[in-house]
Amino acid sequence: MESRPVEPRESVLGVATTSTSGLPDSNAGFLLRLDNISKEFPGVRALSNVHFDLRRGEVHAVCGENGAGKSTLMKIISGVYQPSGGTIVYKGEERRFSSTRESEAAGIAIIHQELNLVPHLSVAENIYLAREPRRGFLVDRKKLRADAKRCLDRLGVDISPDAPVRGLSVAQCQMVEIAKALSLDAEVLIMDEPTSSLTEQETRLLFKVIRDLKASGVGIVYISHRLDEMAEIVDRVTVLRDGRYIATDDFGATSIDAIVSKMVGRSLEEKFPDRTSVPSDEIILSAEGLSRAGVFRDVSFTLRRGEILGFAGLMGAGRTEVARAIFGADPLDAGTVTLHGQALSITSPRDAISAGIAYLSEDRKAQGLAIKMPVDVNMTLANMEAVSNGFGLIDFGKHARIAKEYIDLLNIRTPSIKQPVRLLSGGNQQKIIIGKWLFRKSKVLFFDEPTRGIDVGAKLAIYRIMDELATEGIGVVLISSELPEILGMTDRVAVFHQGRITGVLETKKTDQEEIMRYASGYGRRNEERHG
Amino acid sequence: MAEITEVSKQKSVSLSDRQKDIIQKFAALGSLFVLISVFSFTSSAFFTIDNGMTVALQVTSIALLGIGATCVIITGGIDLSVGSVLALSGVVAALAVKDYGTPVWLGMIIGILTGSLCGWINGFVVTRLRLPPFIATLGMMLIARGVALQITGARAVSGLGESFGELGNGSFLRVVNIGDDGFPTVVFPGIPYPVILMVVIAVAVSFMLNRSVLGRHIYAVGSNPDAARLSGVNVSRIVSFTYVLSGTLAGLTGCVLMSRLVTAQPNEGVMYELDAIASAVIGGTSLIGGVGTISGTAIGAFVIGILRNGLNMNGVSAFTQQIIIGLVILVTVWIDQLRNRR
Repeated sequence: MESRPVEPRESVLGVATTSTSGLPDSNAGFLLRLDNISKEFPGVRALSNVHFDLRRGEVHAVCGENGAGKSTLMKIISGVYQPSGGTIVYKGEERRFSSTRESEAAGIAIIHQELNLVPHLSVAENIYLAREPRRGFLVDRKKLRADAKRCLDRLGVDISPDAPVRGLSVAQCQMVEIAKALSLDAEVLIMDEPTSSLTEQETRLLFKVIRDLKASGVGIVYISHRLDEMAEIVDRVTVLRDGRYIATDDFGATSIDAIVSKMVGRSLEEKFPDRTSVPSDEIILSAEGLSRAGVFRDVSFTLRRGEILGFAGLMGAGRTEVARAIFGADPLDAGTVTLHGQALSITSPRDAISAGIAYLSEDRKAQGLAIKMPVDVNMTLANMEAVSNGFGLIDFGKHARIAKEYIDLLNIRTPSIKQPVRLLSGGNQQKIIIGKWLFRKSKVLFFDEPTRGIDVGAKLAIYRIMDELATEGIGVVLISSELPEILGMTDRVAVFHQGRITGVLETKKTDQEEIMRYASGYGRRNEERHG
Repeated sequence: MAEITEVSKQKSVSLSDRQKDIIQKFAALGSLFVLISVFSFTSSAFFTIDNGMTVALQVTSIALLGIGATCVIITGGIDLSVGSVLALSGVVAALAVKDYGTPVWLGMIIGILTGSLCGWINGFVVTRLRLPPFIATLGMMLIARGVALQITGARAVSGLGESFGELGNGSFLRVVNIGDDGFPTVVFPGIPYPVILMVVIAVAVSFMLNRSVLGRHIYAVGSNPDAARLSGVNVSRIVSFTYVLSGTLAGLTGCVLMSRLVTAQPNEGVMYELDAIASAVIGGTSLIGGVGTISGTAIGAFVIGILRNGLNMNGVSAFTQQIIIGLVILVTVWIDQLRNRR
């Protein structure tokens, strides 16, 4: 992994190489090195004898399924947790960080999956939150703005320091977080699932920023489920499984398949299951001329029995918005929705649900689950009538039976039906939501980014379920920003661009490039060239 | 109580959520027993049937309001208006009887429905006009109090007749022996009607929360309103219902209180909303929503009631009582936070 010439002494980012007791990186160039790290929680051994090291100017990926110990390891590096055993050597000196404050002061910054910004403050105020430059008792607003601007300019992103954070996209928020890390003179940057909610385009920009950071000598710890995109930036990869260290490899010398099989401990033949459902001509759902002012207009599509229809497009192109409007979660200004030949009039999710339409939100925790409540409660929430009597009293025997039935059917891993869903993995949470809609006997399911933040093994299970649903005659719409997922799972794909469908493509006859062309609004030109 | 805190803190590290819940319950219940034993020791008049009934009677108003408050708080709301609403309901009932000559039972029903109406307006303002519950019920708190003062000319309504006092002062199974000298001796003071009312309503609402679809939806709305809406729960209706319930119980409390005094005071019930919220919070109801039980609130109401009564009997001044109850609220909520952290 020969990365670009590193300038460890004088970097563009002003990274000060504080020479630590005359041992400037004598540890074979390691910026950070963890040996034999263990962490025990009461009753659980989260990590045992894990190794990890990071060089200046490299991107080191940490891979593993959910629960493999990635987050715990990152929390140990950033001082949230103290290790039960093992050593941490940072810049040639053995360290233990007792808080994130301490690790930040030492130059280790972490960018969490859930971004930690204050929505109603400006970008500049967020970057320097609690570290505002002062003049006497007052904040030096001019300096605050200028410093923030400098950080943003270094990243080459076009975000105004005065913009309030609540108006920014997820990608922009992430850039603000990175700018904040730079303002801390971070030498180690930990990124937890940075691309999980970014579009392809935004991911490009992020990677460019990461490459620049590498070139200036920052060591980056990169956690992601999206192995396919790692090839672009990752130098080395460390795999963890069940809290144990499995291997560290140069990314160039290994393959994604090899990484995956190390992660799951068995070789995974394929990322997508064979499709068993066969599309027929029978139309389940059709949408005609759907419009919502300023959001999407004139959207029409049909969903056939046995098919999986994809909604592709950039973030904000209107895919989620169309699904939510059909589901009655947002108002619809014009257009008709027909289900099994019957025109529907939907004004609330309750109408849609009783008609048999279900929407599985992209944000499971915020919109899909009552996160503190147990498995059985979440499973039956959309169909309480079916587990209660005429007086509105719950039949607890039936309630438990139904919960168990769907836990078995969908192979949900939970210690009991009374387990609060927040303690389950993302894959199992998603299955509970699917169970909820299956129990409701839904006829059409809109899956919005169903595999976001879910590990490889669980993804496959979700895909299998989708295929089975299609086979049983349930309409499946897959909204996804991951093109391989669209290509691997759908029969046809409707591509959205700025609130319109720019093309409906046969999945077998298309490819990533063509979808991207339609998604960026150039599809028509392409058609002309072909025709 | 301090000892119990220690134990629960040490153990909670390695216990499951369910076990922690049980410990929390026992911690509240335990502190109640500690209070009772301490007061029994310091005052001989404390642990008697008579005083027990007095405490129970005093607790009824806190508990009835607390039950309503619990339901509202579980949905993630708050109801600051109950103190004023109970005053309005009480004077409306009294005026109906005195000025319009309605039978007492009908007057009281009108009073209770006045409370329901106030609750309905709260619900409407919260769900339709989308004002924050704090503001909506703050407005109602001022309005209801103002109306109560206006319609009575800020004077107490008295001369209501003995039958008006029956609900608040009567009791069930009262046993009185007429002695040879003709003087009655009370063998058993009986169970006051308000206490019976409190128990019945507590059991009914608890049943509703735990066993019915409505209760399930109340918790779901509090736990995650978006997820509940997207699961087809009629969130507005559920939220409105809890305010109507809270208002109705405030109306009932008003009738009971005024009946006990056989006088309707437009200034009755000031700050009662805070006792109601405190009893819910001491009982483990989370102001974030989604968490809370009626049994917890009942325990909370008794903690406050017994503290007041016991401190009174020991001659502690009303000012010191406030300080102590304030500290109890802080400590119990802090314990609750410890339980939920990690």
